[in-house]
Amino acid sequence: MLFFSFFKTLIDHEVTVELKNDIQIRGILKSVDQYLNIKLEDISVVEELKYPHLSAVKNVFIRGSVVRYVHLPAGAVDIPLLEDATRREAANQAGKAK
Amino acid sequence: MMENLSISDPPLHGGPGGVPSGVLGRPPPQAQQPQQLPAQMFTTAAQLLDLTDKKLMLALRDGRKLTGILRSWDQFANLVLQSTKERIFVPPGYGPDPSRGLYADIDKGIFLVRGENVLLLGEIDLDKDDDPPPGYDLGEVELVQSLAKARKQEEKLKEKSKVRKLATIGFEGENQGEVLL
Amino acid sequence: MADTAEEGNTVAEPLDLVRLLLDEIVCVKLRGDRELKGRLHAYDSHCNLVLGDVEETIYVVEDEEGDDDIKTVSRKSEMLFVRGDSVVLIAPHSRPY
Repeated sequence: MLFFSFFKTLIDHEVTVELKNDIQIRGILKSVDQYLNIKLEDISVVEELKYPHLSAVKNVFIRGSVVRYVHLPAGAVDIPLLEDATRREAANQAGKAK
Repeated sequence: MMENLSISDPPLHGGPGGVPSGVLGRPPPQAQQPQQLPAQMFTTAAQLLDLTDKKLMLALRDGRKLTGILRSWDQFANLVLQSTKERIFVPPGYGPDPSRGLYADIDKGIFLVRGENVLLLGEIDLDKDDDPPPGYDLGEVELVQSLAKARKQEEKLKEKSKVRKLATIGFEGENQGEVLL
Repeated sequence: MADTAEEGNTVAEPLDLVRLLLDEIVCVKLRGDRELKGRLHAYDSHCNLVLGDVEETIYVVEDEEGDDDIKTVSRKSEMLFVRGDSVVLIAPHSRPY
């Protein structure tokens, strides 16, 4: 749930999603769900000549499980808040495990 | 059943009622998520609702690229496509003119694609759909097919030697059992 | 396992170690011949991570035959989400092995 909430705070920001097959897709983050499936709008592909199949595509829905990284705008991330949320989530998990 | 599934239908475990697709992307208030599971489905399914009857591009786990019109789907993202075409590409450097790439379309008809095999799907901008991808020309199907096959073989060999070499310093491949096989 | 793991400095289960690394520089080894070094800002039980000021090192093999043709490529990213299923190991600072 932590990262689901985290990604929701990044909606409408520009991110670059890097997939496990090395494609990098830049676009505006429009939606995310609990599996961390991602929807991007107004996309551009970083090495277009190598990945021509996305040339006519404007919006993509990316399966969460094929994502390797998401490059984020550092300015959009509230680091103290994120670290606090992480500690809370960790405490929660520890509580659940017992 | 699949045909008429809408996000406000009760089969999705009777979640918090219909979420109008217009508000998607807005973080739903936390209180609106009684038990997590139903809410999860809403966003995934609602993405697909937006894409119904649109022309899509699918990238599959085995590397194939399909285009077709989305006619039906379900909560697992199983998809029914009409007028499906498989598009094959040969990048620059492998065809008769080394500075250009080649592509070709093969008609496939109606496909039901199992959701887990879809890596990525994109809505095709119909304004751009008629233009060939930048740097690519339409080629003869047979030619493109044979070039693509030869290239795949070559890549496979390279990948094998890469995996073997990197194994010596403690790495293992990333897509074992998927793209490689 | 009583109340060890609550908010203390104890390591009762593996991810407690990662909790102690929050806001510290970590080294992460990934599938796909990659390593990352950066400041850990978030993690969860799947080992999904957010790292800041990241340096990524990719190990690549040059085309031709030969024995010592493994090269590395470096990339930087100001803020990076890493999906947990790629993570092989997380270690405090420097090279983990």
